[in-house]
Amino acid sequence: MEGISLNSFLFVGAILFVSGIVCMATKRNLIGILMGVELVLNGANVNLVAFSRYSSIGIDAKFIALFVIVLAAAEAAVALAIALSFYNNHQTIDVDQADELQG
Amino acid sequence: MTIPQILFYIFALVTCGGAIAVVVSQNVVRMAFWLIVSLGSLSGLFFMAHADFVAGAQLLIYVGGTLVLLVFGVMLTASGAQRQLKMSPADGFLAAGVGTVFLTIIMSTVISVDWDGVSKTLTGEVVSQKIPTGYNKGEEGNTIRRLGLGFLGIRADKDLGAPEDKKISTGYLLPFEIVSIHLLVVLIGASYLARAKRKVAPRTN
Amino acid sequence: MNFESLLNKLIEDTLQLSLPLFSAELVLCGTIVLMLLVRLFNADKFLPAYIVSIIGVGISFAIACCDYSKLSTPGFATGEIFTGLLIFDQFTAFFRIFLLLFLTLVICLTELSGIPDREDGPDFYTLLIGSTIGMLLMISANHLLILFIGIEMTSVPSYVLVGFMKGRKKSSEGSLKYVVYGAGTAGVMLYGISLLVGLLGTANFSEMGANLHQILASQSVEGVALAISNPVVGTLLLGIMMVLVGIAFKLSLFPFHFWCPDAFEGASAEVAGYLSVASKGAAFALLVRFCLSIVGDYSSVDQFSNIYLAIGIGLGVIAVVSATYGNLTAYTQNNIKRLFAYSTIAHAGYMLMAVAALMVIMSADSGADINKAELASRCIQGLLYYLTVYMFMNLGAFAIVAFIRNQIFSEDLEDYKGIGKAFPVLGICMGICIFSLVGLPPFGGFFGKFAIFASLYEASTIHWSMFVVLCLAGLNTVFSLYYYVRILKTMFLEERPEGAPDFQSEPNLWNSGYVVIISAPALLLGIFPGRLSSTVQDIASVLFN
Repeated sequence: MEGISLNSFLFVGAILFVSGIVCMATKRNLIGILMGVELVLNGANVNLVAFSRYSSIGIDAKFIALFVIVLAAAEAAVALAIALSFYNNHQTIDVDQADELQG
Repeated sequence: MTIPQILFYIFALVTCGGAIAVVVSQNVVRMAFWLIVSLGSLSGLFFMAHADFVAGAQLLIYVGGTLVLLVFGVMLTASGAQRQLKMSPADGFLAAGVGTVFLTIIMSTVISVDWDGVSKTLTGEVVSQKIPTGYNKGEEGNTIRRLGLGFLGIRADKDLGAPEDKKISTGYLLPFEIVSIHLLVVLIGASYLARAKRKVAPRTN
Repeated sequence: MNFESLLNKLIEDTLQLSLPLFSAELVLCGTIVLMLLVRLFNADKFLPAYIVSIIGVGISFAIACCDYSKLSTPGFATGEIFTGLLIFDQFTAFFRIFLLLFLTLVICLTELSGIPDREDGPDFYTLLIGSTIGMLLMISANHLLILFIGIEMTSVPSYVLVGFMKGRKKSSEGSLKYVVYGAGTAGVMLYGISLLVGLLGTANFSEMGANLHQILASQSVEGVALAISNPVVGTLLLGIMMVLVGIAFKLSLFPFHFWCPDAFEGASAEVAGYLSVASKGAAFALLVRFCLSIVGDYSSVDQFSNIYLAIGIGLGVIAVVSATYGNLTAYTQNNIKRLFAYSTIAHAGYMLMAVAALMVIMSADSGADINKAELASRCIQGLLYYLTVYMFMNLGAFAIVAFIRNQIFSEDLEDYKGIGKAFPVLGICMGICIFSLVGLPPFGGFFGKFAIFASLYEASTIHWSMFVVLCLAGLNTVFSLYYYVRILKTMFLEERPEGAPDFQSEPNLWNSGYVVIISAPALLLGIFPGRLSSTVQDIASVLFN
């Protein structure tokens, strides 16, 4: 329809997913890592929404996408609370400073 | 090019560009800005895929809620020196390598699949060729009613007109309700952690 | 069907069929709300949170037992509830009892060992129960959405539980690492789910296998095995792999184990004990359900047996690497919680071998002269037996660590010198748990390990790689003996150094009693394995009917 193919959506999803993975792998800041997670989740959501339009799964995929949005919000809230708690103890949220536990 | 195509490419470009800018930025505040740009225009893509309700939720909850929360996190924790993130060249190469590998894998599998063939195998018709009707005219493009009923467990889109003895299709009443318990638990947990610290007597170590 | 009859059908299905079978979970949800109300009206002076939670969990446990006994009454139909989102069968009922019994024991332990204190109690028990509700969803999942929600509901409260002692640096560091890995793997898993959903055109476990066969059949050419270079096969494997990443994170399998030692060291021993058993049990139940759903109808897999074989061998490799890595790294640990963290990684590896054997058996050609259902159900039996014993022996070990911590304020192995003599009951029970963890006869761990090794041997007749797994698993058991025995040696054979701080209190009768009750089953299940093994046999056979 309208000349937009499923693959162009999947491509956007793939770019978001890979950016998110790279972001998680390279950022040293907890908030930066969380942003990577948000990108990955959104990459998956693009796939879900696109499949919902173009493949036989139908509207069920949209339900999953909506639940993902809610769960991501919950996860972000807890992750930020943990970041604040870590910041209170260490005065930083640089994950490289989290080096007391090793071995 | 048709107008939907042009719009799609604009949104897609902004989304992908924003995502890459998040990775490349060396500054947490800038990262947050690019993330908002990227996810905001992603909701435009959702509109293009006829997912109007998901697109609205994306704007309201993701961009309006989750990302604002992240920006708060940046404000509360980033003090001058750490706002700038240094990436060493070695990290940069590693990142580029990881990115290329993942992208190659996805390109050679997901993007190369004949999706029309798959949906033809399963349902006997090519779903993507179905021409959607305009907004508010038929079912297509107007997902809110179907989603709303589905959250209450009624799959009117699948079951209306089906034979009487058919089992009812999967509705989403249970997750809709159980997520509220999850949110309650998360709320309690997050508020516990963020609450002012009481003096804790040293126990171990 | 018109709208009215649709509505009536839904109401009938929800109220009469689904909710009664879901009442154990509902009671837990009610307990959470009740604890909030109690605190809201300042009634927690007379009604401490642990009493509310233990009553709630106790009721829920009783309901779960009733549900289980209902299953054996003739004419009781098991199957999908909530319009196909969940499944209720013997397997669900078994794990429900397992988790709720375990939750009850953990709540008793936290009350005895004094973590959390009065003020934090409601928060702690809310998180504990909230995370258990997630596990209960995991074990009865019949839909990819429930799989994701279950894992999220389990993980997110447990991030907070690890960081519960928020004044301590180690605690917040442990939870930071946990949340980073957890959120990352959840994202990857969701991407995998999106691929599977798109490819299979369904998210229901009961339909996934059939659709998968249909798609693969349309791709395959007569007489040629499906290659991974086929994009459909590639996408499928990518999706399955990514979902398994999410589950492997919950199981702390190599290479997704990094959070485990840090989170365990940062968390209190009670929380570490809870995470080590409960989330593993639930994740194994989920893994088994997911694997069986992608296999689908196991009598017709000939055409694409190589795909299932590849998954089975992949799981086998991960299992061996996890077990070896866990056992070897545990050697050098000085912190006892860290040591047990590596030991749980190794045990997750052993248990995963049962699932690997299951997948290899499922991939066998129908021409081979084997009874697939029989062999496969034996793998599940081994897994269930092992998990049951593991619950007691691992919780016992962590409970002893918690009680000793209350005496000497330390969790370093160095400081454990001579503890066995000062607290003989704790010491002896630690011995029982440890011998059971090693898997020596006549302790319970032996029969679990033996059953899993036996199913590996049977799988090795289908593919030789399982024999390699079996040999390495045997070697691992020998490795593990050394570091486990080192704990006992420190506790019993070494003298308590001069000038060591005094113990905080006399040996407490309640603590000793609790530890005896927990560790006795680890021994008894080894001496009298009959009852449990016949139970798990019934349960496992249901999955393959």
